[in-house]
Amino acid sequence: MIQSVDRAIRILLALQDEGVLGVSELASRLGLAKGTVHGLLQTLAAHSLVEQDSTSGKYMLGPALLVMGNVYLNSHDLRVRSLRWVASLSESTGLAVRLGVLVWPDVVIIHHVGPKDASVPVSEVGLSMPAHATALGKALLAFHPERRRILSEEPLARLTGQTVTDPDRLNEELDEVRASGVAFEDQEAVVGEASVAGAIFDRSGQAVGAVALVVPADDRGVDPSHIAAIRDTARGISRELGAVTWPG
Amino acid sequence: MRGTAVDVVLDVGFFHDWMGRLARSIEENCDELTRLDAAIGDADHGINMLRGMRAAIEALSSEAPKDPAGVFRVTGSRLVAVVGGAAGPLYGSAFRAAAEALGPKPEITVPELARALRAGVKAVQRIGAAEPGDKTMVDAWLPAVEALESAASGSVRSAAAAAEAAAREGMLATIPMRARKGRASYLGWRSEGHQDPGATSTGLLFAALVDATR
Repeated sequence: MIQSVDRAIRILLALQDEGVLGVSELASRLGLAKGTVHGLLQTLAAHSLVEQDSTSGKYMLGPALLVMGNVYLNSHDLRVRSLRWVASLSESTGLAVRLGVLVWPDVVIIHHVGPKDASVPVSEVGLSMPAHATALGKALLAFHPERRRILSEEPLARLTGQTVTDPDRLNEELDEVRASGVAFEDQEAVVGEASVAGAIFDRSGQAVGAVALVVPADDRGVDPSHIAAIRDTARGISRELGAVTWPG
Repeated sequence: MRGTAVDVVLDVGFFHDWMGRLARSIEENCDELTRLDAAIGDADHGINMLRGMRAAIEALSSEAPKDPAGVFRVTGSRLVAVVGGAAGPLYGSAFRAAAEALGPKPEITVPELARALRAGVKAVQRIGAAEPGDKTMVDAWLPAVEALESAASGSVRSAAAAAEAAAREGMLATIPMRARKGRASYLGWRSEGHQDPGATSTGLLFAALVDATR
């Protein structure tokens, strides 16, 4: 690992987690000398990856990251090919649809269409949701080659009374997801919300993303028509990506 | 004599009036709840609570429960059935658990009310796995229950006022918090600086309780 690159990245991640930080705060968080942090910040600022608040003198993330983020979104093959499918799934169900990729221990939302009845549209693009508590995350974890190891590394956070925090129980559930390609979650991430997700595979047969239908838990929850719709969508996107088979 | 424990009778009429005042207060504060929820949630808390309380008031009129527990039970059931998102299951379960704790009594004492509301917040914590400091309705509800418990020997009015003050303080204390439960937790530090909408509606519940003792 190149040490200075690693340090610069850790500065960016600290600013992502905290919003605004001064040189001293960053230095103590990263265990580095203030001079070192200052130099790294100057370099990042020269490329607009961070910017300095003119009144407080503290640092925050910079606009170049938005440009990079947009390039990521628009050149992401899975996302670009999924847009049409996601639109049609949300149109036919009226429900919210999420597209996500695994960035353990989270799932990062790379595309989202809100529910038809939303009073105010709220975009979830760019949000991180805990993988073990979401259908998206379960669909991706099920096909992760090292899932048993990563699931046992850190305790699984309890987010509601329904969150599955026992790795053995989660692994059993994921075995079933592997067989069917479809994952479920019932109010395990937030109260009142259930979801069903399908894994998306590429040409090499690797699970590269997942698509989820978000179902209000106050209705009858996930029903067979939702499962059929998510399976069709996940299989359809996988085919477009060149996958030859799909589970189930 | 004013200000003694017998000044207000906590009977079915009192509980019905309390819920009516809560419904009106939710109506008046609907936009505010939605505004708060738009910042860190999905912008539906005001409209959801309004729909739920309207349904509850309708059901209370038509079903005319005969004891305080019945008022809570009917309110809770309507909230669970009608309110979407997290608020329905959380408030609905809270009222139903509180009804269970009250039992079939025609009149309720302040200590009994405190015990019931304690059972209510326990239900919320069980469903939402929320601890104090997570930036949820628990941050307003729990201190209110504690205030009610410690004020339980005084008058109903002063006990309710203490509970309302504690709920308001707890509600305001959510502003600097970083959300650790609910949709707002997805925002990390960006949830800081915003008052929690659930703690705000819980503040209204206790404010309505004070109004009902006047």
